[in-house]
Amino acid sequence: MTSPSLGSPYPWQRELKSEERGLCLIHLLLTCANYVAAGNLENANIALEQISLLASSDGDTMQRIAAYFTEALADRILKAWPGLYKALYSTRISSVSEEFLVRKVFFEMLPFLKVAYVLTNQAIIEAMEEEKMVHIIDLNSSEPAQWIALLHVLSARPEGPPHLRITGVHQQKEVLDQMAHSLTEEAEKLDTPFQFYPVVSKLETLDFEKLHVKTGEALAISSVLQFHSLLSSDDDFHRKKFSLESKNPNRVHSPGVLQMGQGRLGELLEKDMGKGYSPSPDSTSSSPLSPVGSVKMDSFLNAFWGLTPKLMVVTEQDSNHNGSTLMERLFEALYSYAALFDCLESTMSRNSLERMKVEKMLFGEEIKNIIACEGSERKERHEKLEKWIQRLDLAGFGNVPLSYYGMLQARKLLQGYGCDGYRIREENGCVLMSWQDRPLFSVSAWGCRK
Amino acid sequence: MAASSSSLFGIREEDQNLMKQQQHSSSTPTSSTAAAPLAPPPQKKKRNQPGTPNPEAEVIALSPKTLMATNRFICEVCNKGFQREQNLQLHRRGHNLPWKLKQKTTKEPKRKVYLCPEPTCVHHDPSRALGDLTGIKKHFSRKHGEKKWKCDKCSKRYAVQSDWKAHSKTCGTREYRCDCGTLFSRRDSFITHRAFCDALAQESARHQPNLSSLGSNLYGGTSNTGLALSHHHHQQQVVGPNIDHHHHNNQSTAADILRLGGGSGNARTGQFDHLLSPPSMGSSFGPAQSSAPFFINQDQSSQQYHHDQEQLQSKQFHGLMQFSDHQNNNSSSGGNLFNLPFLSNSNNSNNAGGTNSTNLLLHPDHQYNSNGGEGGSSLFSGHMMGGGGGDHMSSGNVSSLYSSQVQNNHHGAGAAVSHMSATALLQKAAQMGSTTSSNNTSASLLRSFGSTSSTKSERPAAAASLVPANLGGIFGGGSENENNLQDLMNSFAAGGSSSIFGTGSFGSGFHDVASRDEPKLPAVSIGAGSDRLTRDFLGVGQIVRSMSGGQQQTQIEHMSSLDSESNAAPSTQSFGGGGNF
Repeated sequence: MTSPSLGSPYPWQRELKSEERGLCLIHLLLTCANYVAAGNLENANIALEQISLLASSDGDTMQRIAAYFTEALADRILKAWPGLYKALYSTRISSVSEEFLVRKVFFEMLPFLKVAYVLTNQAIIEAMEEEKMVHIIDLNSSEPAQWIALLHVLSARPEGPPHLRITGVHQQKEVLDQMAHSLTEEAEKLDTPFQFYPVVSKLETLDFEKLHVKTGEALAISSVLQFHSLLSSDDDFHRKKFSLESKNPNRVHSPGVLQMGQGRLGELLEKDMGKGYSPSPDSTSSSPLSPVGSVKMDSFLNAFWGLTPKLMVVTEQDSNHNGSTLMERLFEALYSYAALFDCLESTMSRNSLERMKVEKMLFGEEIKNIIACEGSERKERHEKLEKWIQRLDLAGFGNVPLSYYGMLQARKLLQGYGCDGYRIREENGCVLMSWQDRPLFSVSAWGCRK
Repeated sequence: MAASSSSLFGIREEDQNLMKQQQHSSSTPTSSTAAAPLAPPPQKKKRNQPGTPNPEAEVIALSPKTLMATNRFICEVCNKGFQREQNLQLHRRGHNLPWKLKQKTTKEPKRKVYLCPEPTCVHHDPSRALGDLTGIKKHFSRKHGEKKWKCDKCSKRYAVQSDWKAHSKTCGTREYRCDCGTLFSRRDSFITHRAFCDALAQESARHQPNLSSLGSNLYGGTSNTGLALSHHHHQQQVVGPNIDHHHHNNQSTAADILRLGGGSGNARTGQFDHLLSPPSMGSSFGPAQSSAPFFINQDQSSQQYHHDQEQLQSKQFHGLMQFSDHQNNNSSSGGNLFNLPFLSNSNNSNNAGGTNSTNLLLHPDHQYNSNGGEGGSSLFSGHMMGGGGGDHMSSGNVSSLYSSQVQNNHHGAGAAVSHMSATALLQKAAQMGSTTSSNNTSASLLRSFGSTSSTKSERPAAAASLVPANLGGIFGGGSENENNLQDLMNSFAAGGSSSIFGTGSFGSGFHDVASRDEPKLPAVSIGAGSDRLTRDFLGVGQIVRSMSGGQQQTQIEHMSSLDSESNAAPSTQSFGGGGNF
């Protein structure tokens, strides 16, 4: 990333103030995205170059956001050449512990996960009142803090603690081992009957038999930022259909490009893009209005329903990042990640390495997934609360309103951050967490409808 | 572990039975039982749950009477009752009645599950039946039975005698009493309770006096909530409640001082302090944020502290809001830093409504044709048409947009003074987009994008206008302003020693282009694909321009007034303003 003060050949760029630069970046980003969506590589490249002069992963918020969005856009372009793409990523080292730490920082520095945990726990406690055998299935079980808190509360129940069993699902064994260790230790301290069952599995390949749900026990399912990945389906079918429809009107090449005297490579690329790169359902006007049911999601919800959980608490990103077109997703992502980056800006210093890691390895990767990926690769399919309500309702779940008391705790927690940007509000028994006016996460609780 | 140990024991007994049963079924995974419990996941049937150890298990529903009966098996001769049938049989032998002891069968006995007779109970449902008779009996008496065993010491009542016995052994040996009056026999319960009780008391003392009693009484027992994420913290709290109080005093004085500061200084300085130095605010007012406060792990004093802080902040914000209100008012008369140009712009377009909208409608079409479906414009026109752009041209939209802008400004102005957050920047960009380009563009785009946030957010119009407005900014070619900006940008480029695209294709004739009543001109005079790009850059340039103009209000005013006039030309003038670049 070139530093703007040194790298820019244009004096006017050098002198831009943060705010002006930010506005400039926004417009450049959108311009660039349009070119990418249209498959106009040449112009996209020009725009990317412009942005690179202004963006910076250690600059102000907008500079940082721009850096990750351009990376994502470039990634999307690059995917048109699978060979190139694979070659460039072939030596990448992915470190489990590193990722784990990044999530930890996210958990600790921003209140969202904590609020989600508080609300989840409170809902569980209320639902499990008087229950003797409590079984909790924790999808993506990686944060002991939530259950340690629950253990404390349950152990102090007036009617005595229940038998608590937590089945933790996670794809890394080490993570589950860690969970088991800290939770059993805590339970011993509290002298509360407790068992931890690790299930090493990805969510999407989860074998429901391994969950060992038993009769007589009251079951709760906790999903924090997990369900949306189940929406990812092979929508290749749709894509093909769409791109066929959309091809004709949009694939007329801009004569301007030729006029500008671009070399043969440019032409080649253009052609290439026209064929191989017809980017998904983009630029189609017929984007489906009704939420397309995901087969995988439906079967999971059915399976969960079949377990007759007494309670299922779902935390999700409350954004519409599952639009069918790139531009839709980009807009929405721009807004929500702007808010998330602002949250970090409000709590951490700009040169904090931890902050950069969260931005790059967590937010940056999500952005990349939203922008660059299609089909089954696109996992970060965040959807708004109303869609989840609709979906869960269809699957036979009935909403269990979160209690006033849960809200009280959540408010308290937010208050502790001493920052007025975080907001929380109740909506139809569900809770929305926002930064300023931008809703970012939703928490809702569900039971089986009889 | 006073009471709990007994009840724990009780549970264990009950659960062990359950467990045994379950282990049975799950330890023989290949047998028929295993297949049954775990029905294939995507199945909607309710009764046949995975996890039911044996779906064929006989479900037994006993009446409350039989369940509570201590001696279910009655001798018909002497009416003596027995708990077990075996005992009755042995007894019958004494009467010389026929008797038969059940033999242990080698066959696995038919499994039985028991329902709780209480219809409202979860265990009334066969899917949640309990696995053994003792378990269901104890459950029924504990949950739905009379608690006839009373502890002499603490008056706690128990329904199951063994529970009561176990409690009596430890009752009074350990006892914790919270200030709120709740008694705890377990230290950890007490500790967790305290953490929340204190916090709650603090809060409610301030806000709603009702709440405190409600909180401590209603939630007294379970109120520890999720606070206890860091165990460490807990201990602190418990070990030194006195210290906490001490702290509390200290800090509240500190807070008072702060408050004094806020109060005595004039309100405005306060605001600006706060606004101008957000980081220092964080560190000096807030809790150490990097320490990542777990749930409510601050002690009561910091709670209090917070509260003061909150008040302080809200005061400031209140002031601020008023202040910016004021700004807004000014702005319409022409004095505002940021808002003015856009507001007046939008007034322009309102005035010019008819022509503008036609221009806009024409323009994309035009581009579309001439550029041959280049990305941006095709998207634009596609959506615009798709969204039924024509419908939304009414002035109603205009006004609603306008009002939302005002809200935005209001908001933006607050944030803008200190530093522009990305959120605020996006809002601003949107705002400018919507004002510099035409209103109906945004309106139609708004529909076509169907921004979901509009239904929910507290400022629906504002939120909704953001997205399309951006688009407007980008695609809204043909609005006069852009042409001006092209000029502007051109001058940048020229000044910057090389034109951005190295084409130099914008040579002369910019002033011609700027004639706003000719929608076609821009497309004609400026090339094709990449000049679309340029124009976008220019759009940016304009924004940048007018932003920086904020410091020189007169110029902006000038500019915007120029914009509003419908004659061409003025580019040179606005360039003059651009000298500061």
